[in-house]
Amino acid sequence: MKLTAMVRELERLLGREAVLWRPEDLMLYEYDGLSSLRAPDVVVFPRNTEDVVRIVKFAASERLVVVPRGAGTGLSGGSVPWQGGILLAFARMKDILEIDLENQRARVQPGVVNLDLSLAVSDAGYYYAPDPSSQKACTLGGNVAENAGGPHTLLYGVTTNHVLGLEVVLPNGEVIHTGGKFWDAPGYDLTGVFVGSEGTLGIVTEITVRLLRKAEAVATLLAVYDRILDATRTVAALTARGITPAALEMIDGFTLRAIEEATHAGYPMDSAAVLLLEVEGMREAVEENALHIESVCQENKARYVRRAKSSEERDLFWKGRKNAFGALGRISPSYYVQDGVIPRTRLPEMLEFIEQVGANYGVKIGNIFHAGDGNLHPIILFDPRDEDESRRVRAAAGEILAKCIDMGGSITGEHGVGLEKINLMPFLFSDDDLEMMRKIKAVFNPEERFNPGKVLPTSKMCGELRANVSPGGVL
Amino acid sequence: MTTATASVPSSLTAIVGDSQVVSDPRACAAAAAGGRVPQHIVEPSGSENVAAVLKFCADHDLAVIPRGSGTKLALGNPPRRYNVALSLRQLNQVWHYEAADLTITVGAGMKLGDLQEFLGRDGLWFPLDPSGGASATIGGILATNASGPLRLRHGAARDMVLGMKVATTEGKLIKSGGRVVKNVAGYDLSKLLIGSYGTLGVIVEASLKLFPRPAGRATWVLEPGTFEAARDLRRRILNSPLDPLRMVLLNRRASSRLQNAGEAEGEHSLELWVEVGGPSPVLERCARELVEMGRSVGVQGHRLIEPAAENYWRRLIDFPALWEDFDALVLKSTLPTATCEQFLSLAQQGAERERVNLAGMVQPGVGIAHLGLWGETLASVAERQVTDLRKAAEDLGGALVVERYLKDFNGKWDVWGSAGDSVESMRKMKAVWDPRGILAPGRFVGGI
Repeated sequence: MKLTAMVRELERLLGREAVLWRPEDLMLYEYDGLSSLRAPDVVVFPRNTEDVVRIVKFAASERLVVVPRGAGTGLSGGSVPWQGGILLAFARMKDILEIDLENQRARVQPGVVNLDLSLAVSDAGYYYAPDPSSQKACTLGGNVAENAGGPHTLLYGVTTNHVLGLEVVLPNGEVIHTGGKFWDAPGYDLTGVFVGSEGTLGIVTEITVRLLRKAEAVATLLAVYDRILDATRTVAALTARGITPAALEMIDGFTLRAIEEATHAGYPMDSAAVLLLEVEGMREAVEENALHIESVCQENKARYVRRAKSSEERDLFWKGRKNAFGALGRISPSYYVQDGVIPRTRLPEMLEFIEQVGANYGVKIGNIFHAGDGNLHPIILFDPRDEDESRRVRAAAGEILAKCIDMGGSITGEHGVGLEKINLMPFLFSDDDLEMMRKIKAVFNPEERFNPGKVLPTSKMCGELRANVSPGGVL
Repeated sequence: MTTATASVPSSLTAIVGDSQVVSDPRACAAAAAGGRVPQHIVEPSGSENVAAVLKFCADHDLAVIPRGSGTKLALGNPPRRYNVALSLRQLNQVWHYEAADLTITVGAGMKLGDLQEFLGRDGLWFPLDPSGGASATIGGILATNASGPLRLRHGAARDMVLGMKVATTEGKLIKSGGRVVKNVAGYDLSKLLIGSYGTLGVIVEASLKLFPRPAGRATWVLEPGTFEAARDLRRRILNSPLDPLRMVLLNRRASSRLQNAGEAEGEHSLELWVEVGGPSPVLERCARELVEMGRSVGVQGHRLIEPAAENYWRRLIDFPALWEDFDALVLKSTLPTATCEQFLSLAQQGAERERVNLAGMVQPGVGIAHLGLWGETLASVAERQVTDLRKAAEDLGGALVVERYLKDFNGKWDVWGSAGDSVESMRKMKAVWDPRGILAPGRFVGGI
């Protein structure tokens, strides 16, 4: 179909103000947090489920690809329209449809910004628990697609643990409803399958989530270390003793110096690593846990442990963490963030490995990550104009993720597979595993009309990848 | 595709070995489900054998129902056909245990009681307390998405399973997830298998998230006189920082059944059981505030002393078993969390109208209600009761499933109720996993 005809028809279906097609307007939509490949043919802005159905039916009749997009903060290329087609942006579907505090539920459109939901129920004493670092911008629809995490998911669980029901538009325009306001709806847990499917099974148009009551008390601690090893040992020791903080983040010395220069969060410039720990709950439990944590930090040679004395100080500790990527952006033209997961007992070994990889490839790697659940975020700094450096960066990242697989871990804890890690899937899953996932995809999205070429490699690719390269070489 | 019956046992024996195929009619009768008796019980000793048995059965069109200890076999519609009971009991190994990482990988046949005992040595537990208790197997618990009152604090199987290995009707073993606590690589097939009642594939192995046991626990029984008082109390407790481990509301018949007592005059009409956990400063404060909260809505309370408390909880969790010797109807309703009291009140009114006995145990805060109905006249009103109660649950925004039928009523109406407009997707999903329809045929939602 010719572009002009496509635009005319979409404008007729949705109104002129709901369609973008000029090249200069499309540029913004050719990339997400990962990469830029090509722009979509058109961007459309539905206002409601009926609009989405219209768009999807039109796409079906013209055999066009549809790629859904929230705020474009994803880090694995999940919303990159690399085959062109229609980019379905949710910026105008941002209504909170229902807040039901008595049942601790909210029903929202997918374009609602994560933090806005928490703010809407904050005065009543509630919040929405999953808190990705991009929560000021990222949308709940995107969170559902990626099964997003965040620092506080250590204690409260990731997106899938908070989503009870979905409304989904399938590629033939059919609308289905899964789950509901209550747990254990009769039938298969399709909600659980759609969450984290990265827009490859259906397009979510409504989400029912659980709201939590804010904790009575919170203690935020900053533990400062002279050796990275002691910080990682602290994490392993806390886990082994069954102390689960609400959040347990680690920042290495290199990264915290970059952060400190940008945000003045109060991190000591000369330390090798800090742990940012938070415990929440009943006052009595928080006190007991905070003392316990302090002593475990001391036993593992923390230089000192500081407890935030005010909510301002707490915010400052967190400001550094949440603005870390931006701070690194100040000192490097670009960076590549990894998202591997390992058993928490292996953290000390893994951090040494990462340092070694950095040295071997001559690249600078910062570490700032969700230590409490073993979810690493090595950040490799580079200049994309330097081709040789870019190649070394990909090789280093591949080697780190290969090590995660070796340790019995995963290649992604919260960022998704997307385009980025599709070539690593054959090293984590067998042909039979992947074949079953392909069949499941075919149940909903048989012609790959929605978000094609993401998550699952073709079977031909798998054989070639495994035959020719180690996991370290395929990113 | 038909098979000469005589060759089936020998072919199965060739796959799993001599001692693991039983075709004795009396033994098979004990494995009946929904009134149907299988011809063979097969008990493989390893995951590969499970997969091979499934492939054989698919190739020979033999209907299979997987089972652990058999505590949940009453659930679901009666099977359309049933040839082989596939016992997973021998798959009871610990494959991988990392106490310091709070994760474990076990075979599906591992009994919950054995798992808890094993973990107890390190001060850990897998915080699920489903019906069937200690003898329920991990595979069975996951396949039926069984949970108990601990769900209030810890969530359900879907929140604690990190990954699993599943045998398919193609004879393959596929994996989903992994054994680390955070993982979004690929589709989350574990969610699909949890609560699929053995209709998609057979769970042979699961990796689980573990938790430290609370330092101390205490159970309080509060006695609200009315459903309004029960609701006010629930609101106060859930809006407080106390964060209980478990909380159930029992009507009079449920608490007297639980205590094996007669129905003495003057018994309080409702009991709210609240178990709290944590270090002693937490328990002390909970004790103080629970009593205070009770008093503020005019409700008396007392603490249950261990080990009696634990004993009561054990019986209470195994709610369906309280009616083992009765011909009772057992129903489970899943509801928006704050509608539990209202649902129980409606159910009680209905039972009075129909002159049947009703025992109710609801989990306010979770949104699950269990009802037991019995009595001389029940047979004549049972169908209407199920219809009415299902409508009441749906009007409140929930659903209702029949967990146990009256003997005479087996299969005459649908156990599950409606799965809504996603049932076609579920049928397609079933066809992908089990194209020949040999796994627990007809037992699930929509005749799947």
